Amino acid sequence: MLLFAVAHQKFAIAADSVQEIRSTDSLAGSAVELSHPVLSKVRHTLEHSGHTYYVVNAGAHFDLPVSRPGLVLILRQSRVAVLIDYIERMTEIAAPYPLPLAFAGAERRWYRGLTYLDDMVIPVVHAGGFLTAQECEQLDRVTNSTAPQHDLQGVVSA
Amino acid sequence: MMATQSTARNSFIVLQIGSGRFALSADAVVELSAPVRLHTFPHTFPAVVGVIVRRGRIVPVYDAASLLAGRSFSHHRFYVVARRRIGQASELGAMPVSGECELASGDMRPPAAGSPAYVRGVLPVGEESVPVLDFNTLINAYVSPEPGTAGEGASS
Repeated sequence: MLLFAVAHQKFAIAADSVQEIRSTDSLAGSAVELSHPVLSKVRHTLEHSGHTYYVVNAGAHFDLPVSRPGLVLILRQSRVAVLIDYIERMTEIAAPYPLPLAFAGAERRWYRGLTYLDDMVIPVVHAGGFLTAQECEQLDRVTNSTAPQHDLQGVVSA
Repeated sequence: MMATQSTARNSFIVLQIGSGRFALSADAVVELSAPVRLHTFPHTFPAVVGVIVRRGRIVPVYDAASLLAGRSFSHHRFYVVARRRIGQASELGAMPVSGECELASGDMRPPAAGSPAYVRGVLPVGEESVPVLDFNTLINAYVSPEPGTAGEGASS
């Protein structure tokens, strides 16, 4: 598992669901600002290895206070890249605890479960939960209908 | 055997939540826990303030005070852990308790007319009548509150 942080909140994600981790500073030229963003959490696309990724700001996705993302996780077998603040470490954990049934909203899509590590309960993120199929369709409609604007700084300030 | 069951039915845990006193049937209570660390993470259900870890289980904590007392309290002395039914399943849930807890015995009387659905009845404790809560209905009231009940104290 990769442990990462966004706005002082820690999350875990399966390491094999992440294809690559890049610094936001290294994305100059490959990030494209959406001219008409339809989702507040997605303001850019990223061209990488011949594929286009929707860049999801994890802070906006989880409704956390504004932070300054320093890294982008490019997810494997996905059209999503995720802006995060930093990677804390990589570690092995037992199977996550199921998310209690009390959590009945969007968090059931966000999380695979919870893990208890170093006296902390940490949500284990579902890599496929950053964008719904409907959100992808919305973004597809916008990106197919508008011309891209290359943005050298945009991803960092997303 | 029957005597034991009868005693259990008539035993109640009296709790202080905010400035009000409430009771839960003792057989509904799994544990009274010290105020262990509350863990929080992003989610969308405002009735849940976080989770605690008890005996290897992750237990959601419900902000009962905001429903019963009209506001949340940051300081509490215990968590009362009870079982909640959710559809066909059930799981443990916890509520922060802001004062002392007592074990009381007595016969529950019917609730006053117009009481919220989560009040099963009233328990005479000394000269006081303490509302007896149905934990499950109380939490469900968060999900679909009855008109006019959210945030109103039910203590008499």
